[in-house]
Amino acid sequence: MNESEKKAKYEFLVKFSKSNSITAFRKLCSKVLKKSRCAFLDSDYRPVNFVGKECNHLRLGKYLARLKSSPLREYMVFKCSCNRVCLSFPVIQGSSVYGHVLFIHLKKEPRKSIIDAVRIFMDLALKEFQKEQELTKLYETIRPRAIALSTIHTIHRLLSSTLNMDELIERIARLTLQVMRSRHCSIMLLDESRKYLIPKAIINLDKEIPKTDPQYKKIKLGVKLEGKVAKTGKAVFGRNVVCVPLVEEDVIGVISARDKTNDAPFDKFELEILITLAEQAVIAVKNAQMYEEQEKMAYGSIKTLAALLDSKSPNTFTHSDQFVKMVLALAEAMKLPREDIANLHYAALLPDTGKFSIPDEILKKPGSLSSKEYDIIKKQHLESLKIIEHLEFLKPAMPIIRHHHERYDGAGYPDGLKGDSIPPGARIMAVANAFEAMISARPYKGKKISISQAIKEIEKNKGTQFDPETVDAFIAATNNPEFENIVRL
Amino acid sequence: MNNIKSFFKNNTAKKILLFFNENPNCIDTAKGISLWIGSDTGLTQKCLNQLVKEGVLTSHQTASTSAYAYTNNKAVVKNIEKYIKNIL
Repeated sequence: MNESEKKAKYEFLVKFSKSNSITAFRKLCSKVLKKSRCAFLDSDYRPVNFVGKECNHLRLGKYLARLKSSPLREYMVFKCSCNRVCLSFPVIQGSSVYGHVLFIHLKKEPRKSIIDAVRIFMDLALKEFQKEQELTKLYETIRPRAIALSTIHTIHRLLSSTLNMDELIERIARLTLQVMRSRHCSIMLLDESRKYLIPKAIINLDKEIPKTDPQYKKIKLGVKLEGKVAKTGKAVFGRNVVCVPLVEEDVIGVISARDKTNDAPFDKFELEILITLAEQAVIAVKNAQMYEEQEKMAYGSIKTLAALLDSKSPNTFTHSDQFVKMVLALAEAMKLPREDIANLHYAALLPDTGKFSIPDEILKKPGSLSSKEYDIIKKQHLESLKIIEHLEFLKPAMPIIRHHHERYDGAGYPDGLKGDSIPPGARIMAVANAFEAMISARPYKGKKISISQAIKEIEKNKGTQFDPETVDAFIAATNNPEFENIVRL
Repeated sequence: MNNIKSFFKNNTAKKILLFFNENPNCIDTAKGISLWIGSDTGLTQKCLNQLVKEGVLTSHQTASTSAYAYTNNKAVVKNIEKYIKNIL
């Protein structure tokens, strides 16, 4: 038997002597032998785990070793140096003797039937211990993997909840720092030429890295660690760094983590985690890229439609760029969800499509309208909206376009909606629309007034024509110098 | 941050800290963590929020998911590790 086998057997015996199955074995033995304490000796009769004080077990072990030169495969009843009865019982696994259990200072020599019972107890204890061992092994190997799997699942949920690229990249970087327990993380994506890596997010726990930092300079493919990983498509794993490629058919970028927070080296388990995280990140990045492209296409279609309408009658169906900026600034100030802001953006590009089939003489009539003319406007407003209702991506923006002529007190059109039943985007557009009309010089909209007068007018109609909350946000926004730049037409 | 000892007075918080000390790479939801530590989800959620407030854990929030992870603060992690070694 070589040293490693001896060591393995010794370790087995140590674990066995401390296991729950031995506790049960002792209880059973105490019934038949009237002795619950036992000691363990290894196959060389060296003490393993002392339980008992009556005798010097080490000496006893040596005594036993002298009695038998080879490991005992059978039980042995003998008298120790103090001339009292002892029982040695082998611990056998398969064909090997792992050691012995020793019952010391028994009251009398045990009968054969008792020895048989102890043998059965030992077999049971060994079987139980094997089960315990298997369970422990399962716990030690499967639990960390299950936790890692759950972590990856959580990361997937966190990443798939945004389609905004900047937000997503930042989130991937933060999650990488978290799971890798690292102080530094960077995410770089290949540019369109596929010759350079563009750093998209660099996070260092010790200091904030501004986008102007040299670390944000693009890296040529094949240069530096990240460039090499992007070029070869193979992960690199070192003591203080792990860098893995982001692969979706081709390499689209790299993600790297450096310097663990506890200064320990990265291990293979962490490399495995980062590879899995990178796989999740690639899917999320691709989805965000596709969404960005779709959004660009949608904006392109809307702008084309707006240009077409504008060519028919300039400034009738669309509004100025300032109007769009003002609407978006108000939406930001009111902390509308990102998705709602995107829909509001669409609506702001085509606010007055509803005027399309309204006759010019009514549309451009200076002064107030007759009730008959007003009825035509209400009817035609809904008719005209049918032009854009086939554009699927505009569906969420339709209620905003439809209702931005509603008044907060319910006196607006087309449906006479009141208060909070008017979509928030439409309430924002109503304020911006009225404001723009007052400060711009359009022949059919009456006399142009100053910005301060227009603000006063908006405030005057708070709670009647306009939503009070929107007006408050508008007033607050007008104090912002940036907003002033937006509204200067 | 409160005295580390005080976190260990609450049994659920103690289980959470033992869990993160053993699995520092983990990020999971309150439901997931309650499963790993064998505690009630509501109690776990409450303790997680408290530990986030104390700077022992960090939370990653999105509209649909709230996930929790161990702090990256080296000193805090070291102190907790030391305390756990003493009590076990």
